[in-house]
Amino acid sequence: MTASLALPGVLEGRGPDLADHLATFGPLPPADALDLATRAELTGRGGAGFPTAVKLRAVLAAARATRRPPVVVANAAEGEPASAKDGVLLATAPHLVLDGLFLVAGALGADTLVLAAPGRLHRAVEPALAARRRDDVRLHATPDTFLAGEESALAAAVDGGEPLPTAKFPPIRERGVEGRPTLVANVETLARLALLARGRADAGEHTLVTRRAEVAGAALVDVADVALGARLGEVLRIDRGVLAVLIGGYHGTWLPAAVARDVRLDRESLADVGATLGAGVLAALPAGRCGLRETARVMSYLAAESAGQCGPCLNGLPRIAGALELLARPGRFDGRLLEDITRWCGLVAGRGACRHPDGSVRLVASALQVFRDEIRGHAAGRCVARERRPFLPAPGRAR
Amino acid sequence: MTPIAVWYLNRATGIVVLVLMTLTVVLGAVVRRQVRLPGLPRFGSVTLHRNVSLIAALLLLTHIVTAVIDSYVSIGWLAVLVPFAAGWKPLAVGLGTLAVDLLILIIVTSLLRLRIPERLWRGVHWTSYLLWPLAFLHGLTAGTDMKSGWVLGLALVCAGAVAASAAVAWTGRTRAGGRAPAAVAATRSALSRGSRVAVFRNR
Repeated sequence: MTASLALPGVLEGRGPDLADHLATFGPLPPADALDLATRAELTGRGGAGFPTAVKLRAVLAAARATRRPPVVVANAAEGEPASAKDGVLLATAPHLVLDGLFLVAGALGADTLVLAAPGRLHRAVEPALAARRRDDVRLHATPDTFLAGEESALAAAVDGGEPLPTAKFPPIRERGVEGRPTLVANVETLARLALLARGRADAGEHTLVTRRAEVAGAALVDVADVALGARLGEVLRIDRGVLAVLIGGYHGTWLPAAVARDVRLDRESLADVGATLGAGVLAALPAGRCGLRETARVMSYLAAESAGQCGPCLNGLPRIAGALELLARPGRFDGRLLEDITRWCGLVAGRGACRHPDGSVRLVASALQVFRDEIRGHAAGRCVARERRPFLPAPGRAR
Repeated sequence: MTPIAVWYLNRATGIVVLVLMTLTVVLGAVVRRQVRLPGLPRFGSVTLHRNVSLIAALLLLTHIVTAVIDSYVSIGWLAVLVPFAAGWKPLAVGLGTLAVDLLILIIVTSLLRLRIPERLWRGVHWTSYLLWPLAFLHGLTAGTDMKSGWVLGLALVCAGAVAASAAVAWTGRTRAGGRAPAAVAATRSALSRGSRVAVFRNR
């Protein structure tokens, strides 16, 4: 155990050089990805936290049933604007991701491998790919849209179509890229498999998080490899200068600072307070910012990022976003606005082809809870905001 | 059936098929650009496109059969599928035959759409823009009505409609992704004016 703990973590890679990679992590021993994922109870790191072994078995079963070799897509699309972990991982340890990709491909008997990442990350990955002398890995450039990394949207895009979510039946694991059984796995999940194969038994008990905070007026964003089950107050600095913490990302949940400080970073503990780890975004909203204004901006972004395919999402999210913008301006809304938002949230949840409406509404619902005092203040024409600069990033399409 | 009735039926179906095929092309552009027709849900335009084209195909069958059994012109059964095999005006009839062959391909691939690669279906479907001009030239050269009068006027209107539809269809398809930002902007302005928010159709 001691020996395995001495192995470096996923963030300790040294870039695209293969010799550096081998010096840091050692060669990849032969291993069965399914066995590793089962024993470590590894969960997917793309956001949903689905058990990797279950997914692997489903693709394996579909491949046997259809007698077609499956496709494996390593997903680094990272549409979440507040998340940076997949990009950082690809820049620091691309070979670990490739190791995991090859492990999974071996276990599934896949003959087509795709690495899907935004074009700006390709420069970091191309030399790594060249060094491996594997010509069966295709590099796919993903667009900078929120839904680009959604499983079915990604499979459609890899197939040359629009990067938009498709119907959930048949599922991607049965009919994905080229109509073949397809495994879409987050790059961090793959890197963790590569560490598990090397005997680092606790690789599955860690997770990458993107921390966003403000220190002395300057935004501080970093990616850290933290133990699952750690107290959030130990991972992120949550002092008096913090109003609330956003956990999981833009489909995530706001928690009051007092609650956030003591919550443990694992799926069960987070579920107890109504939160999910999502893609690992942890953002400490500094005092002097208005949580309503932040949420309204994010919600406008999310509404504009709707695929526009399902009525409840296309009609509902812009309304909720518009109403939140009114709510975010002190003294500009009437009493029915809150009621309307709550009603609209109920109307869109669970009614999309993908989970975009559900996740967006979760963020809004938590904001209405956590920023209750703010709402009362705004109704009376007051706002705590002293700083007009936005805290959370929301790329320009919303404006 | 008297020979004169056969000839009349042949001319009439030819003209109606021209109109229906034009309508099919227009509806094809409507489907491609995801336009919502008044009184129809969006999926309705797809069904309309399909049904109008199938009615056109049925009338075309009548057009072909009457042309063959009309004893005044020598067009054999072979000329139905093999271009330029007709005894009467082989070039003019052959253009129609080519159009029929393309139409059969398009119908068969459309019926098998869920079982063949989508790209194959799409590629074959694009040949509609070759089919229509072939059929039009066939009408101009083989037909006896399209030289003048209201039939010529109708034909020109049809040609204009197809040209416009082709321009609309070829300049791209409506991206679903563009709808959401527009909906956000519209809602924002409606709410800030205090007016009611419109319902966004998937158009």
